[in-house]
Amino acid sequence: MATIREKGYHHWEGQLLEKGRAFWPITRTGIKLAFQRKYFKFIFSGAFLPAVVYAAGIYISERLEDFKFMAQGAERTLQVDPGFFKSYLSLDFLFFMIILLMALGGAGLISDDFRHKAVQLYFARPITKLDYILGKAGVVVFFVGMLTLIPGLILLIIKLLFSGSFKFFLQYPWLIVSIIFYSILLMVFFTSFVLLLSSLSKNRRYVGVVIFALYILSDIAQGIIYVIFRSPYSALFSIKSNLKQVAAGFFMDKLPYAYPWYLSLIVLLVFCFLSYVVIKRKVRGVEVIR
Amino acid sequence: MGVELKNIHFSYGRVKALNRITLALDEGAIGLLGPNGAGKTTLLKIMLGFLKPDQGDGQVLGYDLRKEQKFIRQLVGYMPEDECFIPGMDSVTFTAYMGELSGMPRQEAIKRAHEVLFYVGLGESRYRLVDTYSAGMKQRLKLAQALVHDPKLLFLDEPTANLDPGGRQEILELIGEIATVRGISVLICSHILADIESICDKVVIINKGEIAAVGRLEDLRMINYRLYELKIKGELENFRSNLEKAGCRVEETEDRIVKIYTPPDFNHLEIFRLAARNKLQVRQFVRSQSSLEDLFAKVVGVD
Repeated sequence: MATIREKGYHHWEGQLLEKGRAFWPITRTGIKLAFQRKYFKFIFSGAFLPAVVYAAGIYISERLEDFKFMAQGAERTLQVDPGFFKSYLSLDFLFFMIILLMALGGAGLISDDFRHKAVQLYFARPITKLDYILGKAGVVVFFVGMLTLIPGLILLIIKLLFSGSFKFFLQYPWLIVSIIFYSILLMVFFTSFVLLLSSLSKNRRYVGVVIFALYILSDIAQGIIYVIFRSPYSALFSIKSNLKQVAAGFFMDKLPYAYPWYLSLIVLLVFCFLSYVVIKRKVRGVEVIR
Repeated sequence: MGVELKNIHFSYGRVKALNRITLALDEGAIGLLGPNGAGKTTLLKIMLGFLKPDQGDGQVLGYDLRKEQKFIRQLVGYMPEDECFIPGMDSVTFTAYMGELSGMPRQEAIKRAHEVLFYVGLGESRYRLVDTYSAGMKQRLKLAQALVHDPKLLFLDEPTANLDPGGRQEILELIGEIATVRGISVLICSHILADIESICDKVVIINKGEIAAVGRLEDLRMINYRLYELKIKGELENFRSNLEKAGCRVEETEDRIVKIYTPPDFNHLEIFRLAARNKLQVRQFVRSQSSLEDLFAKVVGVD
C-alpha cells in the first residue's frame, strides 16, 4: 500500500547515475525544442522531397520497360550507380534545406544559452564541457543524419530490393562505406559550422542570418577569386564546392574541379578542428572578463 | 556542511578577487556577506568548480575542489543570481531536465520536478512556459531546479532578489525550513542583511577579497565590539576625533543619534570623560544590541 506523505519537501531516495550519457538529455531536448519552432516541421518534411524523388528514380530505373513512354532518352539520367548516390548527397537543394533548417532550429543551440545565462545551470551539474558540446552537436547530427545518412542507406536498400539481386552490391561493395563516411563528414561539418556561429553571438536571429550569409558568401567569394586568378583552387573558398569535390572523391566520380579532392577534405577538417577549439573556449560556466 | 578552504587566491587578470581565503564551514544555514565586488560570487564559483583558484586548495563535502568537481556538483544545488532559464520550456520540463542533467533517471526527474515545484509555490503554474513567468516566479523556479536532485548542500546567490515582501518572506521561510528541518546545509550569498539575519546563525563576511569576520552571529556581536547609542548636545567633531583616536568608530544617524562602536576592552566611562573634555552634554546613553547591519558596517567599514 502506498504511503500518504505530508505536503512539503521530501528527500529523494533514488540513486544518481554515476556514469551515463550525460549528453543525451541535451540532444533530446534540443531536438524537441527545434520541432517547436514555427515552420520547422514543414521545412523538415520538405527537405525529404529529394529523397522521395530519388527513390522514385530508382523504381523507374528498374522498371524502364514499363515507363518507356515517359522515360525516353532518360536511360542515362536514370542509371543508378555510385554517381546517383553522390548526386543525392551533394545536391544543391539538400544543402540549402540543411542550411535553412539549421538557421531555424540550430542557430539558438548555444546562443540561447548565452542570452538567457543558462550555461551556468548546465555546468552547475555533473556534466563536462565535452558532454555539453556533444549534447548540442547531437541535435545537428540528428537532423543532418536524417537527411543524408538515413535516406542514403534507404535508397541503397530500395535499389537492392527493386533489382532483386545483390549484383549491384557486389559490383560496388565500397558504396555503403562511401555513403556512411560522406554522411558522417556532412554531419561533422554542419555541426561545427552551426555550433561555431551559435557560440559567437547571443542573438539567435543574427546567428541564423550569418549561417545563411556565410554559406552564400563563400560561393560568391569563390566566383570573385576565380575571376581574378582563373584557378580551380578558388573552389577551396566555397563551402558547397568543397563538399561537392569531396563527394566526388568519396564516390570515385569525376571531380568537378581540377585539383585533388583531399585538399577540400583537409580544408573542411581544418575548419571543423578550429571550430571545436573556438567553441571549447567560448563555452564556460562563468563569464570571466580579464 | 563540510566546506574547507585553505589559502585560496584568485585573480581576474591583474585584479585580485580573493586573497588568502581560509574557511571551515559546518552544517546549517550560513550567510556570505560583503559589499559589491567583495568576492562572494567568485568564492561560490570556485566552490562549484567554475573557476580554478590560482593558489590554495580545499574540499567541499569531502571532495577535492580541483580534481573532483563532478562529484561536488552531484551533491550541490546552485541557485545563480542571474535570471537564467531555457526558453520554450514549461517549468516541469525545465526542472526535470535539470534533474536529468544531475544524473536522475528521466521518470524520477519528472516526478520529482512536480514535487519541488509544488514545494516552492509554483504548483499551479507548472505547465506555463518559463518565458512568461514574472521575475519572482523565475526566482522560485531557480530554487526548484537547485533542489530537484535533493542536494546535500545549497548555494543560493541572492535568493530573494526581485521578490515582493510577501514572496520574500515565503522564500526565506522555505530556505529556513530546508536548512533546519530538512537537513540540507545552505550557504546564502546576499546583500540583504535582514535576510541573512533571519535565517542564518553563522556568517562569513568578505571584504576586498579577504575574510573580514567568520563565526556565529551572537559571538561576533559580542566579541568584535560594543555599540553605544548617545544623544548629545554640542559640537560633535572634536568628540568624534578623540573617540576615533581611542580606537572607536563613530556614526551619526539622521535623527542625530550618535553610534559609537568601541573595542571589546574599551572602558565606556571614557566616553563620558571625552564628552566632558569637549564640553558636551550626554542626554541619553544606551548600550545597544548590535544588528548584523552594525556588524557589517563595523567590519567592512561602510556607512
